[in-house]
Amino acid sequence: MSPCNDLVLSCDEIQDTKLLSLVSSVLLAQGSRGEVAAVGQRVVQGLERRLPEGQSARFLLPVLANVISLSPGSLTEEQTNVVSKKLADWLRYASIQQGMAQPSGGFFSSPRTKQPAPITEVDGAVATDFFTVLSVAQHYTQDQWLNVQAFSMLRNWLLCYGGKELDTLNPGASAGGDSSGTPLVPVPATPGRLLPPRERLRDKAFAYCQRLVEQSTRRPLKKEDGDLQKACLIEAVTIMDIICKQDSSYVCRAVSCLKILHSRICGDATYARALLPIAQLFLNHSKQAAVDSDAIYKHLFSDIPALLFHNPSLAFEFVQFCKDNSQLFTDSSSIFRQSFPNLFKFLAWNSPALISEFVDLLPFLLDPGTATEIFHLLLDLPCLTAALDIQLRAAALPVSEKAGADPAGKPATCLEAFHHPLYRSMFQYLLRSRAAPEDAPDSLVPLRQLLGSLAGSPRVVQCAETVPVLLELFFRVVAEFADGSLINQLVVLLLQRSDQLYDIPAFKEDVYRVLGSNLAMLCGLRPALVVELSTEILEFSGAVSNIQSKEAIFTHMAWAVGEFLSVSHDKRCTVEQITRFFETLEAVLFEITQLRPQASTPSCAPRAISVLMATLTKLAARSQDLIPRVSMFLSKMRTFVQSPAVTSVYCEEDLEEILIRATELMNLLKMPSVAQFVFTPPVASTRFQKEVNDSLPLALRMVTQLLEPAAGSMPV
Amino acid sequence: MVRAFVLLAPGGPAPCRVLYARTFGTPPGAGPGGPRQRLRRKEQLLVVARQVASQCQLLQASLGRPSSPQLPQLPDEPVSLQDAPGGVFQMSPGDPFPERVTVVWLSVLALAFALVCEPQENLSLAEITLRRLAPRLLLSLRLLGPGADVLLRPDAADGLLDRLLPHGQMLFLNERFLQAMDRELGLKVSR
Repeated sequence: MSPCNDLVLSCDEIQDTKLLSLVSSVLLAQGSRGEVAAVGQRVVQGLERRLPEGQSARFLLPVLANVISLSPGSLTEEQTNVVSKKLADWLRYASIQQGMAQPSGGFFSSPRTKQPAPITEVDGAVATDFFTVLSVAQHYTQDQWLNVQAFSMLRNWLLCYGGKELDTLNPGASAGGDSSGTPLVPVPATPGRLLPPRERLRDKAFAYCQRLVEQSTRRPLKKEDGDLQKACLIEAVTIMDIICKQDSSYVCRAVSCLKILHSRICGDATYARALLPIAQLFLNHSKQAAVDSDAIYKHLFSDIPALLFHNPSLAFEFVQFCKDNSQLFTDSSSIFRQSFPNLFKFLAWNSPALISEFVDLLPFLLDPGTATEIFHLLLDLPCLTAALDIQLRAAALPVSEKAGADPAGKPATCLEAFHHPLYRSMFQYLLRSRAAPEDAPDSLVPLRQLLGSLAGSPRVVQCAETVPVLLELFFRVVAEFADGSLINQLVVLLLQRSDQLYDIPAFKEDVYRVLGSNLAMLCGLRPALVVELSTEILEFSGAVSNIQSKEAIFTHMAWAVGEFLSVSHDKRCTVEQITRFFETLEAVLFEITQLRPQASTPSCAPRAISVLMATLTKLAARSQDLIPRVSMFLSKMRTFVQSPAVTSVYCEEDLEEILIRATELMNLLKMPSVAQFVFTPPVASTRFQKEVNDSLPLALRMVTQLLEPAAGSMPV
Repeated sequence: MVRAFVLLAPGGPAPCRVLYARTFGTPPGAGPGGPRQRLRRKEQLLVVARQVASQCQLLQASLGRPSSPQLPQLPDEPVSLQDAPGGVFQMSPGDPFPERVTVVWLSVLALAFALVCEPQENLSLAEITLRRLAPRLLLSLRLLGPGADVLLRPDAADGLLDRLLPHGQMLFLNERFLQAMDRELGLKVSR
């Protein structure tokens, strides 16, 4: 690594612990396993022996922590025993009296020695038990510093070396990770006989954590200590969980201690983040302890998200908890799965930070029972953001203003509407904590309109941007398990909801795009739905306004009709049905291809015109009496494309494309049997056949070339 | 353990810049050493910084605050961390680090501080550590003007990190311990 030998750093000769720490940071940055191991050996050596005068082991412990996190196999079992023993001593036997101030040497330093004062708790009471990180003193002794360092690295140490087997090849995996099922035979500590180092450390560590649990609910004199108390509590519970995994004889004590703790803190919102590791411990061990912990989970999932969705750190940790325990969501009747509306509140409020977490979580929440409700929820996610905003503002109002709404009149602001009888049940439904598919109000349309005033708020817009991603994922996951009736249900809902979206233009555009392509996907999964849902589809396709406002959905719908409305896909498809669809779509196409478009004529994307023409041709190929009508229509396209009023609306390339397509389709219809074959291939179940369908435009072009071997370039 | 500490200027209209960064050890076997490894580390930290910058801007927007905050009028006025926006997010394995990491960040004035932590780290402690690092680091920076034109004293920053975050180890220090540490460092932090 280094250019010459004189520049090689080594930690072997260094006696000064501060210097050793600094040199180690250089060595550990090299990324060499040998260097890391060498540093580890040297540090343990330093901890084993008595250090020279003035040196402190305080600077060595972090180096050790870094070594084991970079390369867990660096220490031998003997070395880990040495360190475990020291850690246990530092945790348990640190001095319980305050340190002495360094002599200041000023005028007023008196030679008389003062009695060292005892340490106190964070609330000022004199400490009656051993020293911990939550013990307060004016000055601290060296061993008290070591106590802090030891606790700070305790979790990683136990994870690495606390388990029953020390596997130097891969200690991270075996240590503490798999011993939940096989209880260790606990080695009783008989008086006069010390436990082996690992078990002794576990014992001292557990006692330390129990003491921290007791200390962390005292009321601190300094406000900042309150934050540390919570962090200590979280760490203590996490360490208890690790210890229980490594030695199940601790489970009973841990569970009883934490049940008491839970009842003390569950009403205090500032301790909410600590509820997560507590729940995790119960999830891991309560079965063994035969303890009923349902109340804990219920409180966690029903109450906490509704109250604290606006706390970004809690939101993140809560979603992490869900991801780490994703197997909980597989049981559809469980409190975890049923609480998904609450979980989405975290996403609605903290969209940028949590979107990638939710992309991982969403598949676990979806099943045939929840799919439709989650579909609605996703489409209404920005509304949820707006509603949460109003909920927060309403809660912050003084009581006198809350009662001010006049129930008879219409509310003037969103805030007034929150308590208004007209809107209250809609708000309640949107802000529900549990899945409630049957309680859905008939329509949330009034609420969506009311919330329209918040559509420009940055938080709402950020949330709206996450919806298309989640929708796409939703369809991808649902496609894997949906049966026929669910697919039909989703298609109907899709068409219905396309009219009922929160009014943010960019949001609606993106949602239409996703809905359109997935509509085609669903029809491909279950072609029979075109026949089964013909009423709804006709209603949607027949509305000319849809082609303008929801072009993506309309185009894909028209394409799907052309693709799948045939006897080969569903025996129930009759000639009448084909004719009915034909007439509906023909009317729409007629409306949008008028030679003299009026102000009321909707302008639409050229792609929609192309798809409509193709669909009509496909339908005519199957019901050949329609062929003359289509041919006549297509022949008029030339006039349409050349009409001056139209050339001002569409660009030249688009019009040319439309014309080419119309000509190809017309030519195809001159050979009805070929057209039938081209447009109604056998049901494409293999990939090859799907590719044939996808290459339809190419096929059309080639047929045209065959029919008109005239001037014009060969298709590439 | 904390893998890295990054001090950055989120920018806003300007691209984000990494002003100071420190990694705590390199996992062995991470590939060829030397300059390529250092370059890769720099790139990785820049990716983290950009993500922090965009999260910071999005959060500022959603809170309705202007993206270029005002500097305190007096240079010695203590910086209040009360409403300092901050957050947590995760970065998936491979993007940019080989393993999953969690990033905790805090934004003060026109700067942002970020800790890149291992996945199961105690995030409450990480937030406390950031809130302690921020004012102490700001003491050692000279703010030359509005925005992020700062004069760094990397030796002071290094010394501070060596005490508050030695080798990436976060410490459970109560207020009295912190005071003792400030005395050792010779810092006068307003409380």
